[in-house]
Amino acid sequence: MKNLVIIGVICVLVLSACNSELKPITYGSDGCHFCSMTIVDKQHAAQFMTKKGRSYSFDATECMLNHLREIDTETVELFRVNDYTDPGVFVDATQATYLISENIPSPMGAFLSAFSNEEAAKKAQSDNTGVLYTWTELNEKFKK
Amino acid sequence: MIRYQSLLIFTLVLMVTANLWAKPIVICDSCEVKSISEGIKIAMEFDTLLVKKGTYKEYNILIDKPLTLIGEDYPIIDGEEKGEIIRIVSDGVTLDGFFIINVGTSYTTDHAAIRVVKSENFLIQNVVLEKLFFGIYLEKSSNGKVYHNKIIGDAKDEYNSGNGIQLWYSHHVEVSNNIVQGARDGIYLEFSDNIAIHNNKSTGNLRYGLHFMFSDDDIYTDNIFENNGAGVAVMFSKNIVMKGNTFRKNWGTAAFGMLLKEINDAEISNNTFEENTIGINIEGSNRIDYKGNNFIKNGWGIKVLGACYTNTFSGNNFLYNSFDISYDSNLNDNVFDGNYWSDYTGYDLDKNGIGDVPYRPVKLFSYIVNKTPESIVLLRSLFMDIIDFSEKVSPVFTPDNLLDINPLMTKVQ
Repeated sequence: MKNLVIIGVICVLVLSACNSELKPITYGSDGCHFCSMTIVDKQHAAQFMTKKGRSYSFDATECMLNHLREIDTETVELFRVNDYTDPGVFVDATQATYLISENIPSPMGAFLSAFSNEEAAKKAQSDNTGVLYTWTELNEKFKK
Repeated sequence: MIRYQSLLIFTLVLMVTANLWAKPIVICDSCEVKSISEGIKIAMEFDTLLVKKGTYKEYNILIDKPLTLIGEDYPIIDGEEKGEIIRIVSDGVTLDGFFIINVGTSYTTDHAAIRVVKSENFLIQNVVLEKLFFGIYLEKSSNGKVYHNKIIGDAKDEYNSGNGIQLWYSHHVEVSNNIVQGARDGIYLEFSDNIAIHNNKSTGNLRYGLHFMFSDDDIYTDNIFENNGAGVAVMFSKNIVMKGNTFRKNWGTAAFGMLLKEINDAEISNNTFEENTIGINIEGSNRIDYKGNNFIKNGWGIKVLGACYTNTFSGNNFLYNSFDISYDSNLNDNVFDGNYWSDYTGYDLDKNGIGDVPYRPVKLFSYIVNKTPESIVLLRSLFMDIIDFSEKVSPVFTPDNLLDINPLMTKVQ
Protein backbone atom coordinates (compact mmCIF):
# COMPACT_ATOMS: atom_id res chain seq x y z
CA MET A 1 0.00 0.00 0.00
CA LYS A 2 2.75 2.37 1.09
CA ASN A 3 4.66 1.56 -2.11
CA LEU A 4 1.62 2.39 -4.16
CA VAL A 5 1.39 5.80 -2.53
CA ILE A 6 5.06 6.47 -3.22
CA ILE A 7 4.68 5.36 -6.84
CA GLY A 8 1.60 7.53 -7.11
CA VAL A 9 3.49 10.54 -5.76
CA ILE A 10 6.38 9.91 -8.15
CA CYS A 11 3.97 9.64 -11.08
CA VAL A 12 2.36 12.95 -10.18
CA LEU A 13 5.77 14.61 -9.86
CA VAL A 14 6.98 13.22 -13.18
CA LEU A 15 3.78 14.20 -14.96
CA SER A 16 3.84 17.69 -13.50
CA ALA A 17 7.44 18.03 -14.64
CA CYS A 18 6.22 17.27 -18.15
CA ASN A 19 3.91 20.26 -18.11
CA SER A 20 5.52 23.14 -19.86
CA GLU A 21 6.53 25.71 -17.30
CA LEU A 22 7.75 29.25 -17.71
CA LYS A 23 11.50 29.41 -17.48
CA PRO A 24 12.45 31.24 -14.29
CA ILE A 25 14.37 34.48 -14.71
CA THR A 26 17.99 34.55 -13.61
CA TYR A 27 18.07 38.08 -12.26
CA GLY A 28 21.29 39.90 -13.02
CA SER A 29 22.22 37.88 -16.11
CA ASP A 30 19.14 37.38 -18.29
CA GLY A 31 18.41 40.09 -20.82
CA CYS A 32 15.07 41.59 -21.76
CA HIS A 33 13.79 40.13 -25.02
CA PHE A 34 12.54 43.52 -26.23
CA CYS A 35 15.10 46.08 -25.10
CA SER A 36 18.18 43.91 -24.30
CA MET A 37 18.47 45.36 -20.83
CA THR A 38 19.66 43.09 -18.05
CA ILE A 39 16.76 42.06 -15.84
CA VAL A 40 17.39 43.00 -12.21
CA ASP A 41 14.16 44.55 -10.95
CA LYS A 42 12.17 41.95 -9.04
CA GLN A 43 9.18 44.28 -8.79
CA HIS A 44 8.61 45.03 -12.46
CA ALA A 45 9.81 42.05 -14.53
CA ALA A 46 7.33 40.21 -16.75
CA GLN A 47 7.23 37.05 -18.86
CA PHE A 48 4.99 35.14 -21.21
CA MET A 49 5.01 31.65 -22.64
CA THR A 50 3.81 30.69 -26.09
CA LYS A 51 1.56 27.72 -26.74
CA LYS A 52 4.62 25.90 -28.04
CA GLY A 53 6.24 26.35 -24.63
CA ARG A 54 8.83 28.98 -25.40
CA SER A 55 9.42 31.57 -22.64
CA TYR A 56 10.08 35.25 -23.21
CA SER A 57 11.27 37.44 -20.36
CA PHE A 58 11.15 41.22 -20.02
CA ASP A 59 12.63 43.68 -17.57
CA ALA A 60 9.38 45.60 -17.33
CA THR A 61 5.69 45.11 -18.04
CA GLU A 62 5.85 47.95 -20.59
CA CYS A 63 8.50 46.05 -22.56
CA MET A 64 6.23 43.00 -22.70
CA LEU A 65 3.31 45.13 -23.87
CA ASN A 66 5.46 46.80 -26.54
CA HIS A 67 6.63 43.40 -27.72
CA LEU A 68 3.04 42.15 -27.90
CA ARG A 69 2.31 44.81 -30.51
CA GLU A 70 4.70 43.00 -32.84
CA ILE A 71 3.33 39.49 -32.45
CA ASP A 72 0.04 37.62 -32.64
CA THR A 73 -1.20 37.42 -29.03
CA GLU A 74 -3.25 34.35 -29.95
CA THR A 75 -0.04 32.32 -29.83
CA VAL A 76 0.52 33.13 -26.16
CA GLU A 77 -0.43 30.57 -23.54
CA LEU A 78 0.05 32.64 -20.38
CA PHE A 79 1.24 36.05 -19.21
CA ARG A 80 2.87 36.72 -15.87
CA VAL A 81 4.03 39.86 -14.07
CA ASN A 82 5.94 40.57 -10.88
CA ASP A 83 3.79 41.56 -7.96
CA TYR A 84 4.94 45.01 -6.82
CA THR A 85 4.19 44.33 -3.16
CA ASP A 86 5.82 40.90 -3.17
CA PRO A 87 9.11 41.20 -5.10
CA GLY A 88 10.17 38.16 -7.12
CA VAL A 89 6.73 36.55 -7.06
CA PHE A 90 5.00 36.14 -10.42
CA VAL A 91 1.24 36.37 -10.76
CA ASP A 92 -1.25 35.96 -13.61
CA ALA A 93 -0.98 39.15 -15.63
CA THR A 94 -4.55 39.03 -16.91
CA GLN A 95 -5.92 39.07 -13.35
CA ALA A 96 -3.59 41.73 -11.94
CA THR A 97 -4.42 45.38 -11.25
CA TYR A 98 -2.06 47.95 -12.75
CA LEU A 99 -1.08 51.35 -11.47
CA ILE A 100 0.52 54.09 -13.54
CA SER A 101 1.89 56.64 -11.10
CA GLU A 102 4.46 59.35 -11.74
CA ASN A 103 5.85 58.62 -8.28
CA ILE A 104 6.73 54.96 -8.80
CA PRO A 105 9.42 54.63 -11.49
CA SER A 106 9.57 51.42 -13.51
CA PRO A 107 12.57 50.24 -15.59
CA MET A 108 11.48 51.55 -19.00
CA GLY A 109 9.90 54.81 -18.02
CA ALA A 110 6.20 53.93 -18.15
CA PHE A 111 5.76 54.28 -14.36
CA LEU A 112 3.81 51.06 -14.51
CA SER A 113 3.49 48.57 -11.63
CA ALA A 114 1.38 45.45 -11.24
CA PHE A 115 -0.45 44.27 -8.12
CA SER A 116 -2.05 40.86 -7.56
CA ASN A 117 -4.25 42.34 -4.88
CA GLU A 118 -6.65 45.11 -5.88
CA GLU A 119 -6.69 46.51 -2.35
CA ALA A 120 -2.89 46.84 -2.37
CA ALA A 121 -3.14 48.64 -5.71
CA LYS A 122 -5.72 51.06 -4.34
CA LYS A 123 -3.57 51.72 -1.29
CA ALA A 124 -0.54 52.41 -3.50
CA GLN A 125 -2.72 54.70 -5.58
CA SER A 126 -3.83 56.72 -2.54
CA ASP A 127 -0.21 56.94 -1.32
CA ASN A 128 1.32 57.90 -4.65
CA THR A 129 -1.55 59.17 -6.82
CA GLY A 130 -1.97 57.73 -10.32
CA VAL A 131 -4.48 55.81 -12.40
CA LEU A 132 -5.54 52.16 -12.08
CA TYR A 133 -5.96 49.87 -15.08
CA THR A 134 -7.09 46.33 -15.71
CA TRP A 135 -5.16 44.09 -18.10
CA THR A 136 -7.61 44.77 -20.94
CA GLU A 137 -7.54 48.53 -20.42
CA LEU A 138 -3.76 48.47 -20.27
CA ASN A 139 -3.50 46.56 -23.55
CA GLU A 140 -5.79 49.10 -25.20
CA LYS A 141 -3.59 51.92 -23.90
CA PHE A 142 -0.39 50.38 -25.23
CA LYS A 143 -1.84 49.53 -28.65
CA LYS A 144 -1.92 53.22 -29.54
CA MET B 1 40.02 111.73 7.96
CA ILE B 2 37.20 111.11 10.42
CA ARG B 3 35.38 109.50 7.64
CA TYR B 4 38.29 107.14 7.08
CA GLN B 5 38.45 106.27 10.76
CA SER B 6 34.77 105.45 10.98
CA LEU B 7 35.09 103.33 7.88
CA LEU B 8 38.01 101.51 9.45
CA ILE B 9 36.11 100.90 12.68
CA PHE B 10 33.11 99.75 10.73
CA THR B 11 35.18 97.24 8.82
CA LEU B 12 36.83 96.04 12.00
CA VAL B 13 33.47 95.52 13.69
CA LEU B 14 32.24 93.72 10.62
CA MET B 15 35.27 91.45 10.61
CA VAL B 16 34.89 90.59 14.30
CA THR B 17 31.20 89.76 13.99
CA ALA B 18 31.84 87.80 10.79
CA ASN B 19 34.45 85.91 12.72
CA LEU B 20 31.90 85.14 15.42
CA TRP B 21 29.44 83.88 12.85
CA ALA B 22 32.03 81.74 11.17
CA LYS B 23 32.77 79.86 14.38
CA PRO B 24 31.57 76.34 13.66
CA ILE B 25 29.26 74.31 15.83
CA VAL B 26 31.38 71.43 17.05
CA ILE B 27 29.75 68.05 17.43
CA CYS B 28 31.35 65.20 19.34
CA ASP B 29 30.77 62.71 22.14
CA SER B 30 32.01 64.98 24.90
CA CYS B 31 30.82 68.25 23.35
CA GLU B 32 27.76 70.29 24.24
CA VAL B 33 26.12 69.12 21.02
CA LYS B 34 26.21 65.33 20.78
CA SER B 35 24.21 64.47 17.70
CA ILE B 36 24.20 65.76 14.14
CA SER B 37 20.41 66.24 14.11
CA GLU B 38 20.66 68.35 17.24
CA GLY B 39 23.45 70.41 15.69
CA ILE B 40 21.31 71.09 12.61
CA LYS B 41 18.38 72.10 14.81
CA ILE B 42 20.30 74.79 16.70
CA ALA B 43 22.32 75.99 13.69
CA MET B 44 21.59 79.28 11.94
CA GLU B 45 21.51 79.56 8.15
CA PHE B 46 24.95 79.37 6.51
CA ASP B 47 26.55 77.97 9.67
CA THR B 48 29.28 75.36 9.59
CA LEU B 49 29.00 72.16 11.57
CA LEU B 50 32.21 70.41 12.45
CA VAL B 51 31.66 66.74 13.24
CA LYS B 52 34.55 65.17 15.16
CA LYS B 53 35.67 61.60 14.78
CA GLY B 54 33.32 59.05 16.35
CA THR B 55 30.26 56.94 15.63
CA TYR B 56 26.86 58.60 15.34
CA LYS B 57 23.91 56.21 15.37
CA GLU B 58 21.42 58.37 13.55
CA TYR B 59 19.01 58.16 10.65
CA ASN B 60 16.46 60.45 9.02
CA ILE B 61 18.81 63.40 9.46
CA LEU B 62 16.99 66.33 7.84
CA ILE B 63 19.02 69.24 6.55
CA ASP B 64 16.47 72.00 5.90
CA LYS B 65 18.66 75.11 5.81
CA PRO B 66 21.82 76.12 3.97
CA LEU B 67 24.61 74.54 6.02
CA THR B 68 28.11 73.20 5.63
CA LEU B 69 28.72 69.87 7.34
CA ILE B 70 32.35 68.87 7.63
CA GLY B 71 33.50 65.57 9.04
CA GLU B 72 36.88 65.48 10.71
CA ASP B 73 38.82 62.21 10.16
CA TYR B 74 35.77 60.51 8.67
CA PRO B 75 33.21 60.25 11.48
CA ILE B 76 30.86 57.27 11.03
CA ILE B 77 27.14 57.78 10.64
CA ASP B 78 25.49 54.41 11.26
CA GLY B 79 21.87 54.18 10.15
CA GLU B 80 21.49 50.72 11.72
CA GLU B 81 19.32 49.73 8.72
CA LYS B 82 16.42 51.75 10.05
CA GLY B 83 15.85 53.89 6.99
CA GLU B 84 17.21 56.84 5.07
CA ILE B 85 20.24 58.50 6.61
CA ILE B 86 20.60 62.06 5.31
CA ARG B 87 17.91 64.02 3.48
CA ILE B 88 18.77 67.45 2.10
CA VAL B 89 15.80 69.69 1.33
CA SER B 90 17.51 73.07 1.29
CA ASP B 91 19.61 74.96 -1.25
CA GLY B 92 23.29 75.57 -0.60
CA VAL B 93 24.21 72.51 1.46
CA THR B 94 27.74 71.12 1.55
CA LEU B 95 28.53 67.66 2.85
CA ASP B 96 32.20 66.80 3.19
CA GLY B 97 34.11 63.87 4.67
CA PHE B 98 31.73 61.32 6.18
CA PHE B 99 31.62 57.57 6.40
CA ILE B 100 28.00 56.46 6.12
CA ILE B 101 26.88 52.87 6.62
CA ASN B 102 23.82 50.64 7.03
CA VAL B 103 21.03 52.15 5.00
CA GLY B 104 17.70 50.39 5.48
CA THR B 105 16.41 48.24 2.61
CA SER B 106 12.82 48.79 1.62
CA TYR B 107 10.79 47.54 -1.32
CA THR B 108 8.35 50.39 -1.50
CA THR B 109 10.56 53.36 -0.63
CA ASP B 110 13.97 53.78 -2.22
CA HIS B 111 16.01 54.56 0.87
CA ALA B 112 19.26 56.35 0.13
CA ALA B 113 22.34 57.11 2.17
CA ILE B 114 22.14 60.71 0.99
CA ARG B 115 19.07 62.08 -0.74
CA VAL B 116 18.83 65.58 -2.17
CA VAL B 117 15.28 66.71 -2.81
CA LYS B 118 14.31 69.76 -4.90
CA SER B 119 17.44 71.67 -3.95
CA GLU B 120 20.14 73.66 -5.74
CA ASN B 121 23.83 74.40 -5.28
CA PHE B 122 24.70 71.31 -3.31
CA LEU B 123 28.16 69.82 -2.96
CA ILE B 124 28.72 66.26 -1.82
CA GLN B 125 32.37 65.29 -1.60
CA ASN B 126 34.81 62.94 0.12
CA VAL B 127 32.00 60.74 1.36
CA VAL B 128 32.41 56.98 1.77
CA LEU B 129 29.27 54.85 1.61
CA GLU B 130 29.02 51.20 2.56
CA LYS B 131 26.19 48.76 3.20
CA LEU B 132 23.82 50.84 1.17
CA PHE B 133 20.60 50.44 -0.70
CA PHE B 134 20.68 53.56 -2.83
CA GLY B 135 23.84 55.64 -2.43
CA ILE B 136 23.48 59.27 -3.47
CA TYR B 137 20.01 60.01 -4.83
CA LEU B 138 19.40 63.38 -6.47
CA GLU B 139 15.72 64.04 -6.95
CA LYS B 140 14.64 67.12 -8.94
CA SER B 141 17.82 68.83 -7.79
CA SER B 142 20.05 70.95 -10.03
CA ASN B 143 23.31 72.89 -10.23
CA GLY B 144 25.27 70.72 -7.87
CA LYS B 145 28.38 68.64 -7.71
CA VAL B 146 29.07 65.07 -6.62
CA TYR B 147 32.84 64.86 -6.34
CA HIS B 148 35.37 62.30 -5.16
CA ASN B 149 33.14 59.88 -3.26
CA LYS B 150 33.54 56.18 -2.76
CA ILE B 151 30.45 54.02 -2.94
CA ILE B 152 30.84 50.34 -2.17
CA GLY B 153 27.73 48.21 -2.38
CA ASP B 154 27.43 44.51 -1.79
CA ALA B 155 25.10 43.64 -4.66
CA LYS B 156 26.81 40.39 -5.51
CA ASP B 157 23.87 38.01 -5.50
CA GLU B 158 21.35 40.25 -3.81
CA TYR B 159 19.21 41.65 -6.59
CA ASN B 160 17.08 43.94 -4.53
CA SER B 161 19.85 46.48 -4.62
CA GLY B 162 19.77 50.16 -5.46
CA ASN B 163 21.93 52.36 -7.64
CA GLY B 164 25.18 54.01 -6.56
CA ILE B 165 24.53 57.53 -7.78
CA GLN B 166 21.07 58.22 -9.12
CA LEU B 167 19.85 61.36 -10.82
CA TRP B 168 16.13 61.75 -11.33
CA TYR B 169 14.82 64.88 -13.05
CA SER B 170 18.05 66.69 -12.14
CA HIS B 171 19.89 69.11 -14.41
CA HIS B 172 23.32 70.77 -14.64
CA VAL B 173 25.05 68.42 -12.25
CA GLU B 174 28.72 67.42 -12.32
CA VAL B 175 29.60 63.89 -11.25
CA SER B 176 33.36 63.40 -11.16
CA ASN B 177 36.20 61.40 -9.65
CA ASN B 178 33.91 58.95 -7.88
CA ILE B 179 34.46 55.25 -7.34
CA VAL B 180 31.32 53.14 -7.52
CA GLN B 181 31.22 49.39 -7.19
CA GLY B 182 28.79 46.62 -6.29
CA ALA B 183 25.59 48.55 -6.92
CA ARG B 184 22.77 47.79 -9.35
CA ASP B 185 23.74 50.60 -11.72
CA GLY B 186 26.88 52.50 -10.83
CA ILE B 187 25.54 55.83 -12.07
CA TYR B 188 21.97 56.12 -13.29
CA LEU B 189 20.39 59.09 -15.04
CA GLU B 190 16.68 59.29 -15.65
CA PHE B 191 15.13 62.41 -17.19
CA SER B 192 18.33 64.34 -16.41
CA ASP B 193 19.80 66.83 -18.89
CA ASN B 194 23.09 68.74 -19.10
CA ILE B 195 25.01 66.39 -16.84
CA ALA B 196 28.80 66.07 -16.95
CA ILE B 197 30.38 62.81 -15.84
CA HIS B 198 34.17 62.70 -15.68
CA ASN B 199 36.95 60.47 -14.39
CA ASN B 200 34.76 58.04 -12.51
CA LYS B 201 35.56 54.40 -11.98
CA SER B 202 32.49 52.20 -12.07
CA THR B 203 33.26 48.52 -11.65
CA GLY B 204 31.63 45.25 -10.67
CA ASN B 205 28.09 46.55 -10.78
CA LEU B 206 25.22 44.21 -11.27
CA ARG B 207 23.62 45.88 -14.26
CA TYR B 208 25.37 48.87 -15.83
CA GLY B 209 28.36 51.00 -15.00
CA LEU B 210 26.52 54.03 -16.33
CA HIS B 211 22.96 54.17 -17.54
CA PHE B 212 21.06 56.90 -19.40
CA MET B 213 17.29 56.88 -19.74
CA PHE B 214 15.40 59.72 -21.39
CA SER B 215 18.28 62.12 -20.72
CA ASP B 216 19.60 64.67 -23.23
CA ASP B 217 22.66 66.87 -23.78
CA ASP B 218 24.92 64.96 -21.43
CA ILE B 219 28.65 64.34 -21.66
CA TYR B 220 30.86 61.67 -20.18
CA THR B 221 34.62 61.51 -20.55
CA ASP B 222 37.60 59.54 -19.26
CA ASN B 223 35.65 57.08 -17.14
CA ILE B 224 36.48 53.41 -16.61
CA PHE B 225 33.74 50.78 -16.82
CA GLU B 226 34.96 47.32 -16.01
CA ASN B 227 33.36 44.01 -15.14
CA ASN B 228 29.80 45.26 -15.02
CA GLY B 229 26.74 43.41 -16.27
CA ALA B 230 27.30 45.83 -19.15
CA GLY B 231 29.52 48.87 -19.37
CA VAL B 232 27.19 51.65 -20.38
CA ALA B 233 23.61 51.71 -21.61
CA VAL B 234 22.36 54.79 -23.42
CA MET B 235 18.65 54.63 -24.15
CA PHE B 236 16.05 57.01 -25.51
CA SER B 237 18.43 59.96 -25.25
CA LYS B 238 19.69 62.73 -27.55
CA ASN B 239 22.96 64.63 -27.97
CA ILE B 240 25.17 62.54 -25.73
CA VAL B 241 28.94 63.02 -26.05
CA MET B 242 31.10 60.05 -25.07
CA LYS B 243 34.87 60.54 -25.16
CA GLY B 244 37.97 58.80 -23.94
CA ASN B 245 36.23 56.15 -21.84
CA THR B 246 37.42 52.61 -21.30
CA PHE B 247 35.00 49.68 -21.47
CA ARG B 248 36.63 46.47 -20.34
CA LYS B 249 35.72 42.90 -19.56
CA ASN B 250 31.97 43.09 -19.67
CA TRP B 251 31.33 39.42 -20.38
CA GLY B 252 28.11 37.38 -20.36
CA THR B 253 25.12 36.48 -22.52
CA ALA B 254 23.38 39.81 -21.93
CA ALA B 255 26.59 41.81 -21.51
CA PHE B 256 27.85 44.61 -23.71
CA GLY B 257 30.59 47.19 -23.60
CA MET B 258 27.98 49.69 -24.63
CA LEU B 259 24.31 49.33 -25.39
CA LEU B 260 22.72 51.99 -27.59
CA LYS B 261 18.99 51.97 -28.09
CA GLU B 262 16.92 54.69 -29.69
CA ILE B 263 19.50 57.43 -29.42
CA ASN B 264 20.14 60.22 -31.90
CA ASP B 265 22.87 62.74 -32.70
CA ALA B 266 25.66 61.45 -30.52
CA GLU B 267 29.43 61.60 -30.69
CA ILE B 268 31.46 58.56 -29.70
CA SER B 269 35.18 59.20 -29.95
CA ASN B 270 38.52 57.97 -28.64
CA ASN B 271 37.03 55.26 -26.47
CA THR B 272 38.53 51.83 -25.91
CA PHE B 273 36.40 48.70 -25.99
CA GLU B 274 38.43 45.74 -24.83
CA GLU B 275 37.44 42.14 -24.19
CA ASN B 276 33.68 42.57 -24.12
CA THR B 277 31.18 40.06 -25.46
CA ILE B 278 29.93 42.83 -27.74
CA GLY B 279 31.81 46.13 -27.99
CA ILE B 280 28.81 48.23 -29.00
CA ASN B 281 25.32 46.89 -29.53
CA ILE B 282 23.36 49.38 -31.62
CA GLU B 283 19.65 49.44 -32.20
CA GLY B 284 17.48 52.20 -33.62
CA SER B 285 20.17 54.85 -33.38
CA ASN B 286 20.76 57.59 -35.95
CA ARG B 287 23.28 60.27 -36.90
CA ILE B 288 26.05 59.06 -34.65
CA ASP B 289 29.70 59.82 -35.28
CA TYR B 290 32.08 56.99 -34.32
CA LYS B 291 35.62 58.26 -34.51
CA GLY B 292 39.03 57.18 -33.23
CA ASN B 293 37.77 54.31 -31.09
CA ASN B 294 39.70 51.13 -30.40
CA PHE B 295 37.87 47.82 -30.55
CA ILE B 296 40.21 45.18 -29.15
CA LYS B 297 39.61 41.46 -28.71
CA ASN B 298 35.84 41.62 -28.40
CA GLY B 299 33.52 38.82 -29.46
CA TRP B 300 31.74 41.31 -31.69
CA GLY B 301 33.27 44.75 -32.23
CA ILE B 302 30.01 46.33 -33.31
CA LYS B 303 26.66 44.64 -33.63
CA VAL B 304 24.11 46.62 -35.58
CA LEU B 305 20.47 45.64 -35.30
CA GLY B 306 17.54 47.21 -37.12
CA ALA B 307 16.79 50.80 -38.03
CA CYS B 308 20.13 52.59 -37.84
CA TYR B 309 20.62 55.41 -40.35
CA THR B 310 23.26 57.98 -41.26
CA ASN B 311 25.98 56.83 -38.92
CA THR B 312 29.64 57.30 -39.78
CA PHE B 313 32.53 55.12 -38.67
CA SER B 314 35.93 56.59 -39.43
CA GLY B 315 39.45 56.40 -38.06
CA ASN B 316 38.67 53.52 -35.73
CA ASN B 317 40.95 50.56 -34.99
CA PHE B 318 39.39 47.10 -35.15
CA LEU B 319 41.92 44.75 -33.62
CA TYR B 320 41.54 41.00 -33.28
CA ASN B 321 37.79 40.82 -32.73
CA SER B 322 36.09 37.53 -33.58
CA PHE B 323 33.68 39.59 -35.66
CA ASP B 324 34.43 43.23 -36.42
CA ILE B 325 30.95 44.16 -37.57
CA SER B 326 27.74 42.21 -37.56
CA TYR B 327 24.72 43.41 -39.47
CA ASP B 328 21.27 41.93 -39.52
CA SER B 329 19.81 43.62 -42.56
CA ASN B 330 20.68 44.71 -46.06
CA LEU B 331 19.85 48.32 -45.48
CA ASN B 332 22.86 50.50 -45.16
CA ASP B 333 23.33 54.22 -45.52
CA ASN B 334 25.93 54.10 -42.81
CA VAL B 335 29.45 54.97 -43.85
CA PHE B 336 32.60 53.03 -43.02
CA ASP B 337 35.56 55.02 -44.18
CA GLY B 338 39.27 55.04 -43.34
CA ASN B 339 39.35 52.57 -40.47
CA TYR B 340 42.12 50.15 -39.60
CA TRP B 341 41.12 46.46 -39.67
CA SER B 342 43.54 43.89 -38.32
CA ASP B 343 41.89 41.27 -40.58
CA TYR B 344 42.60 43.25 -43.75
CA THR B 345 44.74 41.29 -46.17
CA GLY B 346 44.90 43.75 -49.06
CA TYR B 347 47.96 45.55 -50.41
CA ASP B 348 49.08 49.11 -50.89
CA LEU B 349 51.02 49.41 -54.16
CA ASP B 350 51.02 53.20 -54.35
CA LYS B 351 52.26 53.44 -50.72
CA ASN B 352 49.77 56.10 -49.71
CA GLY B 353 48.85 54.30 -46.50
CA ILE B 354 45.45 53.29 -47.83
CA GLY B 355 44.72 49.77 -48.99
CA ASP B 356 44.04 49.43 -52.72
CA VAL B 357 41.25 46.90 -52.24
CA PRO B 358 38.14 47.78 -50.25
CA TYR B 359 37.56 45.84 -47.03
CA ARG B 360 34.29 44.06 -46.32
CA PRO B 361 33.91 44.02 -42.55
CA VAL B 362 30.88 41.71 -42.39
CA LYS B 363 31.70 38.04 -42.57
CA LEU B 364 29.12 35.65 -43.97
CA PHE B 365 29.55 33.57 -40.85
CA SER B 366 28.42 36.44 -38.60
CA TYR B 367 25.26 36.46 -40.71
CA ILE B 368 24.70 32.79 -40.03
CA VAL B 369 25.36 33.24 -36.31
CA ASN B 370 22.76 36.02 -36.22
CA LYS B 371 20.15 33.69 -37.63
CA THR B 372 21.21 30.59 -35.69
CA PRO B 373 23.18 31.46 -32.56
CA GLU B 374 24.12 27.83 -31.91
CA SER B 375 26.27 27.75 -35.05
CA ILE B 376 28.90 29.69 -33.11
CA VAL B 377 30.52 26.29 -32.34
CA LEU B 378 31.76 26.33 -35.94
CA LEU B 379 33.85 29.44 -35.28
CA ARG B 380 37.44 29.02 -36.47
CA SER B 381 36.61 25.83 -38.34
CA LEU B 382 38.12 25.29 -41.78
CA PHE B 383 34.69 25.07 -43.39
CA MET B 384 33.77 28.55 -42.15
CA ASP B 385 37.08 29.95 -43.32
CA ILE B 386 36.36 28.57 -46.76
CA ILE B 387 32.86 30.00 -47.07
CA ASP B 388 34.05 33.32 -45.61
CA PHE B 389 36.78 33.40 -48.24
CA SER B 390 34.42 32.58 -51.08
CA GLU B 391 32.03 35.26 -49.85
CA LYS B 392 34.90 37.75 -49.79
CA VAL B 393 35.81 36.92 -53.39
CA SER B 394 32.26 37.22 -54.68
CA PRO B 395 29.82 38.66 -52.15
CA VAL B 396 26.31 37.32 -52.48
CA PHE B 397 24.77 37.37 -49.03
CA THR B 398 26.47 40.24 -47.20
CA PRO B 399 25.30 43.80 -47.92
CA ASP B 400 26.84 44.88 -51.21
CA ASN B 401 27.51 48.46 -50.21
CA LEU B 402 28.82 47.67 -46.75
CA LEU B 403 32.51 48.20 -47.27
CA ASP B 404 35.39 50.39 -46.27
CA ILE B 405 36.80 51.88 -49.49
CA ASN B 406 39.81 53.38 -47.74
CA PRO B 407 41.03 50.81 -45.22
CA LEU B 408 44.17 52.01 -43.48
CA MET B 409 47.40 50.01 -43.69
CA THR B 410 48.59 51.05 -40.22
CA LYS B 411 46.85 51.59 -36.92
CA VAL B 412 45.42 54.96 -36.06
CA GLN B 413 47.49 56.32 -33.21
